[in-house]
Amino acid sequence: MNALPLVLYAAAGVAYAVHFARRDSTAGRAATTLLLFGALVHTFVIGMQTMEVRHVPIANPSRAVSSFVWLLTLSYLYLEMTTDERSMGVFILPVIVGLQIIPALYPGVESRDPVLDSPWFWVHVSSLLFAYASFGLAGILGVTYMLQFKEIKKKHLGYFYNRLPSLQILDAMNSHAVTIGWLFLTLGVVVGAVWMTQARGVAPNDPNIKAMSLDDPKIFMALVTWGVYSFAMFARRTLGWTGRRAAWLSALGFGFAMLNFLPINYFVTTSHTFY
Amino acid sequence: MHLFLLGVSHRTAPVDLRERLDFSSRDLSAAAAAVVARPSMSESVVLSTCNRSEIYVASSDPARAREELVGFLSDYHHVALQAFQPHLFALENSAAVAHLFRVAAGLDSLVVGEPQILGQVKEAFQSASGKRCVGPVLGNVFRWSFGVGKRVRSETALGEGAVSVSFAAVALARKIFGHLDGRRVLVVGAGEISSLTAQHLRSQGVGEIVITSRTHAHAEALASEVGGVALPWDAMIGALGSADIVVTATGSQRPIITRAPLEAAQGHRRSTPLFIIDLAVPRDVEAAIGEIEQVFLYNIDDLQSIVEENLSRRAAEVEHAESIVNEEVAKFMAWQRSRSAVPTIVALRQRFESIRASELQRLESKLGVLPPDARERVDAVTRLIVEKLLIEPTEQLKALPDEETQAAYTEAVNRLFKLQQDEEALDAARDTPLDIARGRHADPTKLR
Repeated sequence: MNALPLVLYAAAGVAYAVHFARRDSTAGRAATTLLLFGALVHTFVIGMQTMEVRHVPIANPSRAVSSFVWLLTLSYLYLEMTTDERSMGVFILPVIVGLQIIPALYPGVESRDPVLDSPWFWVHVSSLLFAYASFGLAGILGVTYMLQFKEIKKKHLGYFYNRLPSLQILDAMNSHAVTIGWLFLTLGVVVGAVWMTQARGVAPNDPNIKAMSLDDPKIFMALVTWGVYSFAMFARRTLGWTGRRAAWLSALGFGFAMLNFLPINYFVTTSHTFY
Repeated sequence: MHLFLLGVSHRTAPVDLRERLDFSSRDLSAAAAAVVARPSMSESVVLSTCNRSEIYVASSDPARAREELVGFLSDYHHVALQAFQPHLFALENSAAVAHLFRVAAGLDSLVVGEPQILGQVKEAFQSASGKRCVGPVLGNVFRWSFGVGKRVRSETALGEGAVSVSFAAVALARKIFGHLDGRRVLVVGAGEISSLTAQHLRSQGVGEIVITSRTHAHAEALASEVGGVALPWDAMIGALGSADIVVTATGSQRPIITRAPLEAAQGHRRSTPLFIIDLAVPRDVEAAIGEIEQVFLYNIDDLQSIVEENLSRRAAEVEHAESIVNEEVAKFMAWQRSRSAVPTIVALRQRFESIRASELQRLESKLGVLPPDARERVDAVTRLIVEKLLIEPTEQLKALPDEETQAAYTEAVNRLFKLQQDEEALDAARDTPLDIARGRHADPTKLR
């Protein structure tokens, strides 16, 4: 069921690339329309799955990836519509398409573990997915900032100079995205900790719950990610780490977040395997 | 009716002559009206910029129109005929259309692709239409030219990239800061270059402009000129700390802004970018300053090379833009031909319709006995037959490749069907929307 949004996202990706390369406004409008349509179909898919399992489908890694892609797409569309700036699409769509391949190939079965049957758990996962979506945008904004910065600083006003927005706008959007992401990451981590203590009371012998400690790579990595973004926010406000340094940090943070979300989540973690 | 154009441009006339033949924007409508008042011309648009003065007219007799226009230019500007006649250029019909499209696209401009010209063409057109000097001939060709101008702008990079040093500097500032509203500018040196750049920045909506010069009186003079604030020379380094954009253009032999004092002044605001434009030769700003994170240092050579790069990029786009213009000229001419087929098509249609009506009239006694819905059906079926018979000839007449063929076909159709097109019907038909020619007024599908 996740294949149809994938196809639409891929088509939108091609249209964004054409729009970026040729600066063709028709291709740009087509790209936005395709992406909107993809998001709509994706909403429908997630809605169907929600009705099927009676909660938002996030208790399985593939479905969580699908939900993450959906949130990232919506966040990007929000950014595009509020700033009237389409040039970021060509950078964000490869992430969207690449990730959406996972749920399209491995649909996954939603976990029915009763220990997950807690509102804390849903807040925990939803906040983190939303935080990752914000960080995704921030990371892409950071990468584009560095591309634009390099051309202006080196005085080679070339391909990206004419296509990307100004440095200050990229920096400001990056700052917003990091702040929003950090808030949700913090919320997600705190709620996760609350839920863990609660779950220990309910199901003390659950192997997942038992393994929840800093020794678990996923939990450790989540805290590292939180550390990176906390530092990015602190450094921006007090050390004047704006611009390229902030861009770097947000790209690095997103790298950690994705590491945690994909390989660690699938292969390494000992405490987050409820499926 | 012919489209005729007479004018001078930077390609044909020296600047002093262009100045003497220039129409101010206030006079455009009056001039257009004065042209139309002459007997051989029915429509007129006067286009005048610093690089051209051109008069577009619709006339049934272009040779006479030319004579009258030359006389008009001489009378209007009080310039002797011999002074400007060798510099005039005149174009007719498709050549005039092509010229107007090239002008609107910015291809005929002194700086190829400059953006103002399309607005000037629109203004010329509006001034003339305000005085009712525009009819179907000029109306169509001018409106089409606006589309050509827009298309060239959106499909080519002809108008892209700044082509003067100060525009290049402002374009860079925009790529660094986004918008320039409220940005603080420090101008070091109060010479002519500083003055030009400060004025340009002011027109872009920057916030405060602070000016400093070794001679304080000069700084004060420039400050009052551009609405800025004069600052004592000694306070310059301190002011660097709070500026977003710094423009330097002094005659100093040695750098006046060096790295260490700048870093000291910047101490508390490292986080926002600083854009330094060094327009002085020898340079006013130490090159090492460009290495500071968040400082973007451009000197006159850097800006000059951006301008040159942009110019060569524009030149590379000219071919693409020309091909768009040629395509549009061909499209426009074909459209015009299809329009000139309209009177014949309308006459043909009227002829068929009158045959149909008279046949129905003749059969009235027999049809009268039919029930009302059957009668309606007969009416509809006969109308459908007429429509279907006319579809193909209509399309063929509209798609004829050139004017001679069209004239031959029109003549043949007129004879074959004994059509009579009186002048009044022709004029009315010319203003008829193409829908009639396309047969949209009676949709045959509805009858099925």
